[in-house]
Amino acid sequence: MITLRSAEFRRAREHAWLRLDEMVSLAERKGIGALSADEAQEIARLYRSASSSLSVARNIALDRNLILYLENLTLRAYLVVYGPRIGALQSLAVFFTGGFPKAVRKLVKHLAIVSAAMLIGLAAGYALVSADAENFSSLVPGSLAGGRGVNSTREELLSDELFAEWPGFVDTFVVFANSLFRHNAIVGVFSFGLGFALGVPTLLLVVYNGAVLGAFMALHAAKGLAVDFVGWIAIHGVTEILAILLCAAAGLSIAETVIFPGDLSRPASLALRGREAAGVAAGAVALFFIAGFIEGGFRQLIASTPGRYAFALATAALWALYFTRAGASDD
Amino acid sequence: MTDRAASHIDRVSELFGGTKRKRRVIESPEGVALTVGVATRGERLYAFLIDILLMFVIIFCLYALFIPLFFSRADIPVGMTLILFLVFIVRNLYFLHFELAWQGRTPGKRICGLRVINRYGGELSPSAVIARNLTREVEFFLPVSLFLSLGDHAGAAASLAALGWVLAIAALPLFNRDNLRAGDLIGGTMVISTPRRALSGDLSLTAQDAGREAVHSFTREQLAVYGAFELQVLEELLRSPPNRDSDRVLSGACDKIRLKIGWADEIPPGEVRRFLSDFYAAERDELERGQLFGRIRADKTAAPPTQPRN
Repeated sequence: MITLRSAEFRRAREHAWLRLDEMVSLAERKGIGALSADEAQEIARLYRSASSSLSVARNIALDRNLILYLENLTLRAYLVVYGPRIGALQSLAVFFTGGFPKAVRKLVKHLAIVSAAMLIGLAAGYALVSADAENFSSLVPGSLAGGRGVNSTREELLSDELFAEWPGFVDTFVVFANSLFRHNAIVGVFSFGLGFALGVPTLLLVVYNGAVLGAFMALHAAKGLAVDFVGWIAIHGVTEILAILLCAAAGLSIAETVIFPGDLSRPASLALRGREAAGVAAGAVALFFIAGFIEGGFRQLIASTPGRYAFALATAALWALYFTRAGASDD
Repeated sequence: MTDRAASHIDRVSELFGGTKRKRRVIESPEGVALTVGVATRGERLYAFLIDILLMFVIIFCLYALFIPLFFSRADIPVGMTLILFLVFIVRNLYFLHFELAWQGRTPGKRICGLRVINRYGGELSPSAVIARNLTREVEFFLPVSLFLSLGDHAGAAASLAALGWVLAIAALPLFNRDNLRAGDLIGGTMVISTPRRALSGDLSLTAQDAGREAVHSFTREQLAVYGAFELQVLEELLRSPPNRDSDRVLSGACDKIRLKIGWADEIPPGEVRRFLSDFYAAERDELERGQLFGRIRADKTAAPPTQPRN
């Protein structure tokens, strides 16, 4: 009678494999939470023993079914053991109290570059519209201008825009805030995604955003409303422009990785740095959300320029504190 | 050696017309090489369409819950905004939630037997999941909204250019060997197919399970004809469910083997399975024993092992 070594080997371990198979199937069906703490420990132990069984089987056995089964089982167990352990909400909480501000701190250089690009755009837009007011309509698309233009009078700007009446809770917090949020979030995510195109479109988008802002500034300055305008824009702009800059900086970091992958292969270094960059962009979407609420709601509630400056300064201080301090203790 | 073992396993799959799935090797943190099958573009598209459909259902249900709230006010803009807002939240949380809660699987992926894994063999981290799904916004949802808004503005040429660029990114999976989309590149992930395999009985034991000794015995010369590849082809044949077709294939294989190893006696049709099982057990014993001593014989064309002296 022939009894193969590989058959002996299999007989001694088969129970453990089938037990592991059962637990992995349970975790696959109902999630890792379906396992008790003891079972979670057991699954990790059985996984390690199955993966060593696989190494041995590859060396001593020629049973194709056995090797394929062990490969499959080890892979499935590996995916359970090394799968994500926390849910969406918990991972978002971890992200906003640590991962996000930490990732932002690593992008200081990129933030400086995109801030410079925005300032250049701002100056250019301001200069162009100051020189010839007609430039406003060619610089700002109709959808953004919202009826404002060269022909707007000082009174119109004051009553319809800067100190327009508060249209009511639903219209501001639900309708207006949401549409602003969606629009801005898409712009931000776009400028991040365009980092793939070596960053040039990202920078162009930032310069253009700056130019539009500059054009508006010039328009209001010409009517002697510069101070009121800055208050009107800064109340949410602090948050919103910060978010745009964060997205762009993240896009730029992607571009940098694509151009200069360093010691790693391009995909490997992209995977390493891209994750952080995408995290920054995801966090920026949350900032857009907050900015949308401030712009849609609070801005018209605070109908005085000094009040708006105070609010803007307060948010600026808050963000500065958050991005420099949050998660810093475990750096 | 592992590579060689893996390669004739692949050759057998190819011979039996399994899918020509691309395979990659990832290394687990324990240092064990695991072969994974790359998900095809078709499977991924199919999974994605299922997910999109499900999201529509979710959004519809959520909206249906809120409809009474708005019918009383007849406030259409508010309702529309709410839909848009829900779409944004649902599509961003949907993938994030399921890929975290179900170890890299959304409902669509689960139906298609697909999974997101860390391409470099480590843990699938929440940040990788966030990264790969945020990029989806740029890869898919943005081109769609761009396309839908095309022609709204005078800058149609600019929109078209943007659309072309974004489509190029969306087509990225067509141009790399792991079918990676931009989100996979950024998140360091890949999508694999993980069908479940069952453990079948050990064929070398079937004769004993039937309560009998091997009736056919073979000399070492006879067993030296074949290698691991042929052994595993024979295993596949023996594991195929018994029916007229497989009986025909088996008796064909039996004739070939007899001719090759010089087995003079005729095998009656009823004995074919028994003869092949005995030959399988003896051959596997021989080859596995050789493998223990470092004599690896991949297939019949490989150089014969040096004859051991009796």
